[in-house]
Amino acid sequence: MTDQDKVEAALAELQGFLGDRATDGMLHRMAYSRDWSPRHKQMTDLPDIVVIPQDTAEVVQIVQAALQYELPLIPFAGGTGMGGGVVAWKGGIMIETKGMNRVLEIDPENMSVTVQAGITIWELNEYLAPFGLWLPHQPESKRACTIGASIGCDNDSTFGVRYGKILDCLTNAVVVTGHGEAVRVGHRKASFSSTGYNLMHLLVASEGTLGVVTEATLRVVTLPKTREVRGWVFPTLIDGAQALERILASGLSVESAHLNCRQRLHFYTHAYRENYGKEPEIPDWAESILFLSFAGDDDVVDFGLGKARAILEREYRAELVREQEIVEGYWDSKHRLAFIPFKQKWPDSQRQKKFGSADVGVPFGRLEEMYHAFIEIAARHGQQILGMTVYNESPNKVSPSISFAIFVDDSTEETVQKFYWYVREMSLKAVELEGTMSTYIGDGDRLGGFNEREHGLSYQYMKKVKGLFDPKNIMNPGKKFESRWIEP
Amino acid sequence: MAEFPSLLEFADDIYTCNRTRCGFCREECPVYRVKRLETYSSRGRMLVARGLMEGILEPSVEVQDLMDECLMCGYCEARCALNNMDVFSTVRQELREAGFASPRHERTSAKILDEGTLFARPTPFRRVGTVPLYLGCAYQSKPHEVKKIVSVLEKVGIDPLVSDEVCCSYIVGAIGFKDEFGEAQARFRQVYGPHLEGEILTVCPTCTATLRDEYGLKVKNAVVAVAERIQEMDLKPLNKRVTYHDPCHLGRMLGVVQEPRQILEALGIELVEMEHHGIFSTCCGGGGGVLDVDRDLAIEVSKNRIRDAAAVGVDTIVTACPTCQPTLLRGAGRVANELDMFVDVLDLWELLDEALES
Repeated sequence: MTDQDKVEAALAELQGFLGDRATDGMLHRMAYSRDWSPRHKQMTDLPDIVVIPQDTAEVVQIVQAALQYELPLIPFAGGTGMGGGVVAWKGGIMIETKGMNRVLEIDPENMSVTVQAGITIWELNEYLAPFGLWLPHQPESKRACTIGASIGCDNDSTFGVRYGKILDCLTNAVVVTGHGEAVRVGHRKASFSSTGYNLMHLLVASEGTLGVVTEATLRVVTLPKTREVRGWVFPTLIDGAQALERILASGLSVESAHLNCRQRLHFYTHAYRENYGKEPEIPDWAESILFLSFAGDDDVVDFGLGKARAILEREYRAELVREQEIVEGYWDSKHRLAFIPFKQKWPDSQRQKKFGSADVGVPFGRLEEMYHAFIEIAARHGQQILGMTVYNESPNKVSPSISFAIFVDDSTEETVQKFYWYVREMSLKAVELEGTMSTYIGDGDRLGGFNEREHGLSYQYMKKVKGLFDPKNIMNPGKKFESRWIEP
Repeated sequence: MAEFPSLLEFADDIYTCNRTRCGFCREECPVYRVKRLETYSSRGRMLVARGLMEGILEPSVEVQDLMDECLMCGYCEARCALNNMDVFSTVRQELREAGFASPRHERTSAKILDEGTLFARPTPFRRVGTVPLYLGCAYQSKPHEVKKIVSVLEKVGIDPLVSDEVCCSYIVGAIGFKDEFGEAQARFRQVYGPHLEGEILTVCPTCTATLRDEYGLKVKNAVVAVAERIQEMDLKPLNKRVTYHDPCHLGRMLGVVQEPRQILEALGIELVEMEHHGIFSTCCGGGGGVLDVDRDLAIEVSKNRIRDAAAVGVDTIVTACPTCQPTLLRGAGRVANELDMFVDVLDLWELLDEALES
């Protein structure tokens, strides 16, 4: 059979049980041709078929059809990924997972919810709010991002320093593997398990290369009564990180902790000037800004803020940002999402230029070193710096997950390639500093193969794991073990 | 390249959307809520627009159907600074010029051009008065409602003048029939000529937005005029608990969000807000000509809006639009068994009339 014959035969089979929820219509293929990753503005990756299943049983049938015709399967969710994880650059069947968006069980007594994986985080939290509960895994893409996407990408969470990321909430999952079988992994509603191998952990950051996650059980938490957010500026970058460590060591429970470099700080002051027509009282010596939030009962939050302020200002020469509007603007962009895209008053509105990031992770003692490397590497590749944000993603630890963002000129293939050269060099530097190439974007179609430089022999074991779950390599091929941008 | 040359004017918006993919416009797009496919969301349509602009996609019945299934409700533009609606209008115009237009839309346009009205009206309402009041053809087809509106306006001290009028022809423009819309506008100006210089009072939100934005006229929606006077009125308190559905044109496009709420408060009505309200309200299903071309989709959209009301525990929706009310009522009937309740849909004017009875 030719490739086209396979597509036509697979489509006929898929339409047999999905009806018009399986299509090869060009306009649908076009609508699934991009994610948020940097690439030439006219670049298009068209899947051959788009399907929209409504439950696990239908996904099983879809995988079986793909197996029969040896067609790639790409699970699509929020479409907000910045690593090319959902682009169909090898064609195949795009599985739109957002048709699976039902809440299957709410169990307030056990503070647990079981959902189909295509529900968005925003939608789930709206569902949970009347129960006084919420899912604290909160990526900035939560309006569009689904539970399945969070599992697949292991994306960042605004509240990682208190609650961790999706894995800290996930207790159980159903995955349809490359064998066409639905497999339950995890420990039901229990928080941990020491029996067997923890296969559920393998799904996190697997980017759909092991299977399609169709259901998830999540431990949710009580909605806090109140929340306060503040910002402090520091004379050095590392002061901000060390001050956070000191606050955590004092016993305070910090809900979110984001450290931004001087360039990033300037975006917020720029927005303030534009919005309010006056100069903020940020001292010239400010090299970084740390935003902290505290949440819980009023008196505890008050105490936390007071204690944090005492530590930061007395021990670290930090200065509180007096213009709370700057802090609220930051919070609008990170948590409330109370802004209109492309209308922000800061220069990274993406209206004129797109941004892209190297999302490396380094141990916190190497932050300053990585930051200087960022400035130097970006300059060497002729890239305009947007800035650095350090998210902290492990409960009660300084645990840097870093966005080293630059503006990407996507007008030509060559200028886009320059961005990936920048990513390549930043990734190598992070490994040299005992860190990792990616902390929240994933391998996507950029780091596969090249990431062997980080993993060494364990990369070969990863390949074997892939073969175990997906022997015919139909699950999101071209990702994790192959790159179209960075040579190994 | 450039199958659709006029889209090149929007190339920057299209590429900005295509490469960004934030998805703010997606989840609450009323059509996406029903279809759950990216293609039907604003960002999906922006990729389709790029396909047309670059010649990756050819004009076809499928593309026409997709574009016809946009409610033009403006939700996506409320969430984004790009000009999505202008892009979709342009695509509709280009499709029409390429020979792809729904026969139902052709009939609608022809009817408006032939008869000056979209809806059958028994006897056109006329009234001698001092303040020009443009009713529009939807209200002109509802003599019972018009009687109440006029009665309310009289009681708040407005002396409406209702003269000869023809349809504002919003729908002709919205479905992409550019030349016909130009023709319809010329006729409107001829018929309504004596009142074009001063302020015109309007009741239909769609007419209000069209006369302001497409004709450049000075208009005031009568809801605003009533809200300005409501505090001075002797009102019978109405013992009701309701939610308010912001019509897209009235709330999102004209910014009339607080005034209907002030009226409800003055009427002693307890208001419970739905999740999507104000400028982020969601369409009733009756927008953009979708009712004409895909009635099932329109009903599914209206059912979702009824579910929104039921989700906040109310059994009555109040609105202020001659399209929203019947469309939502249709959805309420279809979803009553599922919800095990009938959500009634009342016109704000009906409540005002009741409260002002004394």
